[in-house]
Amino acid sequence: MMVDMPRQKLSEYRAKTIISKALELPYKGWSVDIEAPLPAQLQSAIEAGGTFALKVDQGVKGRFNQGLVALNVKAADLVEAAEQLKSKGYQWLIVEPMAEHAPGDERYISFMSDRLGVMLQFSASGGVDIEKQASSLQQVRVNDATDWEQLAQKTAINSRQLQQLTQAFLDNYFAFMEINPYLASENGLQILDSAVEVDDAAAFFVDSWQIDDFRSHSGHDQTPEEAVVKELDDNSPASLKLSVLEPNGSIFLLLSGGGASVVVADEVYNQGYGKQLANYGEYSGNPNAEETYIYTKQLLQLLLKSQASRKVLFIGGAVANFTDVNKTFAGVIKAIDEVADKLQAAGVKIFVRRGGPNQEAGLANMEVALAKHGLLGAVHDPDVPLTDAVKEALQEVDHE
Amino acid sequence: MSKELDLQNLEPVIISLGSHPGIIQSMLDYNYCLGHSAPNLVAIVSAGRKQERFFWGHDEIMVPVYAKLAKVPEQLRQQATGLLNVQSARRVLASMTETFELLPNLQVANIFAEQVPEVHALQVAALAEQHDVLVAGPASVGLLVPGVMKLGAIGGTQYPQLVAANIFSGGDTAVISTSGGMVNELIHTVTGAGLGVSFALALGGDRNPITTPAQAFLLAESDQRTRQIVYFGELGGDDEYILADLMKSGKVTKPVIAYIAGTVAGLFDQPPQFGHAKAMAANQSESAQAKKEALRTAGAKVMDVFGELATDLSAQAETGSHQAKPHRPIKQRSKAMIVSRISGDINGGVHLLGKELLSVVNENSLAGLDISLLLGQQITSPKVIEFSDYILRLLADHGPYVSGAVNTIVAARAGKDLASSLTAGLLTIGPRFGGAVNAAADAWLEGAGSDTEPKAFVAGFTANGGIIPGIGHKKYRIDTPDPRVKALTEQFSNNSNGDRYLKFAQGVEAVTTSKKANLILNVDGTIAAMLLDILESELDYSPDKLRELVDIEFFNAIFILSRSAGLMAHYLDQRRHDEGLLRLGEDDITYIPS
Repeated sequence: MMVDMPRQKLSEYRAKTIISKALELPYKGWSVDIEAPLPAQLQSAIEAGGTFALKVDQGVKGRFNQGLVALNVKAADLVEAAEQLKSKGYQWLIVEPMAEHAPGDERYISFMSDRLGVMLQFSASGGVDIEKQASSLQQVRVNDATDWEQLAQKTAINSRQLQQLTQAFLDNYFAFMEINPYLASENGLQILDSAVEVDDAAAFFVDSWQIDDFRSHSGHDQTPEEAVVKELDDNSPASLKLSVLEPNGSIFLLLSGGGASVVVADEVYNQGYGKQLANYGEYSGNPNAEETYIYTKQLLQLLLKSQASRKVLFIGGAVANFTDVNKTFAGVIKAIDEVADKLQAAGVKIFVRRGGPNQEAGLANMEVALAKHGLLGAVHDPDVPLTDAVKEALQEVDHE
Repeated sequence: MSKELDLQNLEPVIISLGSHPGIIQSMLDYNYCLGHSAPNLVAIVSAGRKQERFFWGHDEIMVPVYAKLAKVPEQLRQQATGLLNVQSARRVLASMTETFELLPNLQVANIFAEQVPEVHALQVAALAEQHDVLVAGPASVGLLVPGVMKLGAIGGTQYPQLVAANIFSGGDTAVISTSGGMVNELIHTVTGAGLGVSFALALGGDRNPITTPAQAFLLAESDQRTRQIVYFGELGGDDEYILADLMKSGKVTKPVIAYIAGTVAGLFDQPPQFGHAKAMAANQSESAQAKKEALRTAGAKVMDVFGELATDLSAQAETGSHQAKPHRPIKQRSKAMIVSRISGDINGGVHLLGKELLSVVNENSLAGLDISLLLGQQITSPKVIEFSDYILRLLADHGPYVSGAVNTIVAARAGKDLASSLTAGLLTIGPRFGGAVNAAADAWLEGAGSDTEPKAFVAGFTANGGIIPGIGHKKYRIDTPDPRVKALTEQFSNNSNGDRYLKFAQGVEAVTTSKKANLILNVDGTIAAMLLDILESELDYSPDKLRELVDIEFFNAIFILSRSAGLMAHYLDQRRHDEGLLRLGEDDITYIPS
């Protein structure tokens, strides 16, 4: 799902830059946007020859097994290798000079933040199949009593570097940091792959990473409607999220509130309509009418595009504490007004259940608008339980 | 979290960090509807203004605003038991750290901001634990204890919502929720089913809520009013396993009815992220389904369909077990455009400073009335009135040579009317002419208030390249003193019991005149110092109150009031001569061609 996460994956390029700096190690690598010209420094590295490693850098797990890594790529073949990875639906790569090593040397280490602080996990058998080596994982909580010397022996990373890693983890507001694999030899620590998740709420407090460094991969191409909502969300103090689950679904949800939206989606699923669920999303934090207008417009576009034979829209939420129902509904109604004839032609019925500030006016305006356009399923205030209203709406579509 | 916290007997005295008028007004409305005699929200910490207007029932009240928590009077900080924090996420750690230091008797707090960094929330949690404070948040709509207190947006932000939620009297069902919208939904569900709420707590949907579900359950267990717990949880995290352990080990014995949202996650291969930060199952054990089973095994009644909650609660309710308690109602109200503490009509008659106009006029001298109006309160101290009278007389005119008089005269001779000519003169009042009284009061207040040595004070000014207001005169020198200053000094010694500001100003003069003979304490600086002393010693003005007078330019008002008489005199005088337009001659201007 493309909903914004409070924990965001950092590009591997940025992660390695930060980690290497903390360890006072040199780092050579490039972050490459396949859709843009190659960075000048990489261009000159290519001209100098040598071999390279190319990896998709979009927070994807199990890259090696999915064929999203190209190793030992000769300088002359680099652009072609990049194009191949692009054709698999990716945009961002990390490119590094190829480092040779024996497979047996690969080790694993990770740091994870939780309520009690930082938990460190390590294994002498790192690499692409670490999940299969779960029994080899050892874990140690980092605190004042941590025996760094003993840890150094077990991880083959010297105690100074272990503490530098821990400090980098804390200083940069990392939530998760995995170095897998790394090589530990007489020549010191060598980081091959790493993955970092940061707490994006800390963006204000760090300058080592920025929002531009976040990488994600949705599994499907973002629809234009999702992109518009993302843009809207990025520029609003309120929260507006939209994810398409099934483009040809029959049940469309226009929901408010982080908790209530899940309750509604649960109800659709519990009643056995999960496969027909077209989207998940929610708005909250008292968006203005313009924002709910744009949001609704996107959702209605998706609804009209869906090939499902019977379609229903459920507009719902709990009893809001401070989100103004009349104001937010004004935007929703405006968007419905614009495509009312198309909605009516498609036989769409709209069901509403909502409470909160100015609910009387908001619900009344909504009912009038829906009745006028022949779209009225039902409009309920909080006297009707939320899930009862969902059930009623589900009657409109065929049970799977 | 507070071990001793007794929610039902809380005596809320609340300070708000940041201002969110909708939330604050709804808290005051709740407070009023309960029939309480006075608002429990006593201060707002926010930049940019000194007070904010709210309704207390149908009347408008002013809640004092302070720029910093440290500026809130000590007495209020000692009294404060509750805190509303509506500041931005980035300030939460710093402001909460300060809060725990400055509010020693704090018991409950609500942090409203979303997007507080996880590690900041954990640091606040550690402090909350150490200081024994129940903190709802981050990303929480707060804590409601029906009949006692509403802290935060919880229950709604409009009066009709409070009525619809039926929360003016308490019941026996505790509502605990990770979701703000759902906490309100659950309150409606409980009261709609004919039960009442013992307390409702929104933990916030963050990964690391400061008060954990387990702590909230223990609070419900110890709350004497709570008979059962209604809990809304979500997929992600392992809190429900801890809750199950509490129930199994007998630490929580009260019945639990729960809904765990997020079974819909079963639709997806990749674990999805829902609306709340926490709502992301990292593995099977964090799924809604697994957590529901864990709670069921521990004895909780776990609903698969949210609507079943209402059915179950209704079945429990005995008829009339929770009746809506009558509350003090709020009718239509509207905000006045302007608030005045000086004057206004009462029953159609003009009142000044709280008294009927003519009685004020009859009881006051002109100086007494003027100083009372300027200070915004009826002044009765004869010493203050006498001294004010003297200053008003002293400053009335200082010859036609000064900037203000010249401008008035020029305007008068150009044929302008009285009001225009007067304002032409008044507009010259500023840092170099007449307007230094306020700046000097600022300087003496700062210097004497911070116990700075006059020498260091002067050094500080000169280091910044500034001139010291209230020091220096074009004409008078140490050997030819300003006779007005001498006269003022005599008048002052009769009228004031305190002289720390004057002593300080004279200390500064001793330093500056040792450098240059005309850097004397001038009439502006003298008046400023004396007024500070007399207000402090006669009217008990605190340094903060004196600071406010500086901020609002009170000290310049006295000069402008007095000198207006002189300027109008020059205007009338010129009109009597009627010499015609004043034009400078060639000798009056030196032209330097470029």
